[in-house]
Amino acid sequence: MRRTLALLSAVALLAGCTADEPTVRDDTHKAAAGTLRVLAGSELADLEPILEDLTKATGVRVTLDYTGTLDGVEQVTSGTAGKDHQAVWFSSNRYLELQSGASGRIGTQTKVMSSPVVLGLKQSVAKSLGWDAKRPSWQEIADAAAAKRFSYGMTNPAASNSGFSALVALATALSGKGTALTAEQVGPVTPKLRQFFDAQALTSGSSGWLADTFTQKGGVDGLVNYESVLLSLNAGGKLPEPLTLVYPADGVVTADYPLTLLSGADAEVKDRYQAVVDYLRRPETQKTLMERTSRRPVAPGVALAERFGGGTLFELPFPVKLDTANALIDAYNNVARRPSNTIYVLDLSGSMNEDNRLAGLKTALLGLTGADTSLSGRFSGFHQREQVTLLPFSSAPRAPSTFTVPPDAPGPVLDQIKGAVNGFQANGSTAIYDAMREAYRIARAQQEADPGRVTTIVLLTDGEVTAGANLKSFTDQYQKLPAATKAVPVFPVLFGESAVEEMKALAALTGGRTFDGRTGTLSAVFKEIRGYQ
Amino acid sequence: MRRALSVLLAVVLIGGVVTAVLLGRDSDEAPGATTVHGVIGSEKLPFFADPDVVVAFAKHGLTVKVDPLGSREMAARDPKTYDFAFPSSAPTAERIERQLGTGRHYTPFSSPMAVATFAPVAELLASRKLAAKDPAGHWTLDMKAYLAAARDGLRWGDIPNSAAVALPSRHVLVTTTAPRASNSAAMYAAVAGYLANNDRVLGDEAQAKAVLDRVGPLFRDQGYLETSSGYPFESYLSQGMGYSPMVWIYEAQYVGAKVKPEMALMYPSPTILSQHTVVPRTDGGDKVGNLLVNDPELRKLAARHGFRTPDTGAALPALTQTVPPPSYDVLEALLDALQH
Repeated sequence: MRRTLALLSAVALLAGCTADEPTVRDDTHKAAAGTLRVLAGSELADLEPILEDLTKATGVRVTLDYTGTLDGVEQVTSGTAGKDHQAVWFSSNRYLELQSGASGRIGTQTKVMSSPVVLGLKQSVAKSLGWDAKRPSWQEIADAAAAKRFSYGMTNPAASNSGFSALVALATALSGKGTALTAEQVGPVTPKLRQFFDAQALTSGSSGWLADTFTQKGGVDGLVNYESVLLSLNAGGKLPEPLTLVYPADGVVTADYPLTLLSGADAEVKDRYQAVVDYLRRPETQKTLMERTSRRPVAPGVALAERFGGGTLFELPFPVKLDTANALIDAYNNVARRPSNTIYVLDLSGSMNEDNRLAGLKTALLGLTGADTSLSGRFSGFHQREQVTLLPFSSAPRAPSTFTVPPDAPGPVLDQIKGAVNGFQANGSTAIYDAMREAYRIARAQQEADPGRVTTIVLLTDGEVTAGANLKSFTDQYQKLPAATKAVPVFPVLFGESAVEEMKALAALTGGRTFDGRTGTLSAVFKEIRGYQ
Repeated sequence: MRRALSVLLAVVLIGGVVTAVLLGRDSDEAPGATTVHGVIGSEKLPFFADPDVVVAFAKHGLTVKVDPLGSREMAARDPKTYDFAFPSSAPTAERIERQLGTGRHYTPFSSPMAVATFAPVAELLASRKLAAKDPAGHWTLDMKAYLAAARDGLRWGDIPNSAAVALPSRHVLVTTTAPRASNSAAMYAAVAGYLANNDRVLGDEAQAKAVLDRVGPLFRDQGYLETSSGYPFESYLSQGMGYSPMVWIYEAQYVGAKVKPEMALMYPSPTILSQHTVVPRTDGGDKVGNLLVNDPELRKLAARHGFRTPDTGAALPALTQTVPPPSYDVLEALLDALQH
């Protein structure tokens, strides 16, 4: 609706101009008027107000349809992005350009703004480490992390560009080579990566959720995130303690937000694209972008505001080969990160027999055992060292089964998971909260067995609670859990006729978030959740 | 006519979408003007988008619309879609002439390849005898010594006194664009190939393959490479040393830009000339080439954009050592091999 209004006012503006000087104004706007449909990274949502101004000034309406990092890459390389969109706009094209299928799919790209991925630490913590006064190297940061002198949250590198950028910067700096990282260098540097990730206490599939969770719950000393996100957090005034931005002395990897035309654009689309990038790169727009979104201007001639880190910020080389990038992500998932306890609470009540729901659930879970060979499937499968618990329920919790994926030869265990999933049968009623109580019991036991693990719970149910405890009584019991167990988030999947408000309340209570499985496939949702596990 | 011009100019100014005017709209033509379509190297886009250039062409009854393309894209483009091609190098022009079966071309201006850097960096390089400053204050980068240092893996921190300058812990490497996608990087490969081939222009594909071991790491070790020469120079201007201490550019980019006092330009020795060559396909295209060569106003405007024209004279340093590029086919063979 807001967009429609913006368009109307642009039309009104045009009409007004036409009355004064018909020839001039009419032509100018007709040239570019129309819509540029853009497939975009979700972190660009903060640009919407600026894009409304753009429509008023140029007549071009820019619509952003949001997608995740790997999804976006897949859509471009497979060609599906081009069906509904004329351009893509992600935080970076570097990983995309490593894909063999990308070169024929993308055309002109224009960088619009930039933001380095850096570490933001609570002022007091940064001060105690001396990093408020002197920039540490990545090695010093990794050493302090290994000594547990600070904890932090970071997005999953397979799911989000900010996490991947940090991983690349860290690995490149720690390799000590001074050139772009190669696949052979990933193995030797992995033990050092592990030191750094020892201190990671919060993970997420998106930079925005990570920032929101940090604001609401705290729980960690800081975040690895875009400079723009960290500066915005400071400016938001909701943090109990401001963050000190720590710029690693040996360099960063910077998001550069290239607005990228997809191949095959005709002359009209090219005109619209050009009008859009010209507007975005005008000095006054660059200044607005800097002031409102805390991203750095890229067009020369716009001075950087003081709140951005002064001094020279070195850009580290980005790998040139896809196998290097993929080896890094695999090293993170299988070796360097803290292993996870992943608990699935799965509704197998009778209603799951409707509409192929059970089949959809099975496909989604089997996809995580290696059946999904797509790009996103490759990284979202169960990782080495991961402990996966399946807790089906209907009228009551059924017997849970727990599997630990071994570092070597994970095949047989993945086959066991497949077997368990294939054996699911749906019948009975829906005792959601009895199952949730059981899930937290399991979580607590698993935490006690190995406190170093990251524990999360996914809840999939297609209906309202019809048996056992209700949300209220579950909440009362949840509140009595030890703090570490209470910190285990629940990620409810909205599905079928599930009680949306209750699911949202459950997510809010536990510090999780809901995912919508009603419109897309459960497979897509389960893959998205992998970024949070 | 004058009124038509002022309307056209008003459209440009009020719209603020200068390039859109040039990129394929029919409604902005001055009445009676002929529209001529060109495919050009992207570094010449600011020239064609300059309102003064638009007016200068309009005085001769021409509306010039341009589509910026990489050299390979240009060679692959169906010639029927343009009136002239305006690549940035002689090899690409040669290839297009062959395609069109024409021997006709114009070379209105040129620009040597150069390295944008910073005075303290040039001084450091000079301390290692990699660079030198002549009495007139012009810097040269000794390409042979530089290639040897790059091959040996010299890092900034290895140079004595480098600690006084904030430098990255990276290898001493000039930042370029991707050779397959961008002409400026292809010119870099041509210079490096010449030196690696014992100071001889690469003569055939076998020679191009033979220098691969020497030329390949110059690109590979840099990591990700941008596809267009605009961004690296823009980043040099806005981010300074943090982006890169040395960036491979067209001299024209530097001359036409507002640079800061600590910035400096080094001329590689030897360097290579980017010959901006108009290959006309139609009479309209021919007129564009002719005007660029002969119209005093357009020549002046080209000089304002930093290009070397016959009028340049002593305004820009004389080039002592330049090497010719290899033929199109040999250069293609080298670039293809570099991509793999």
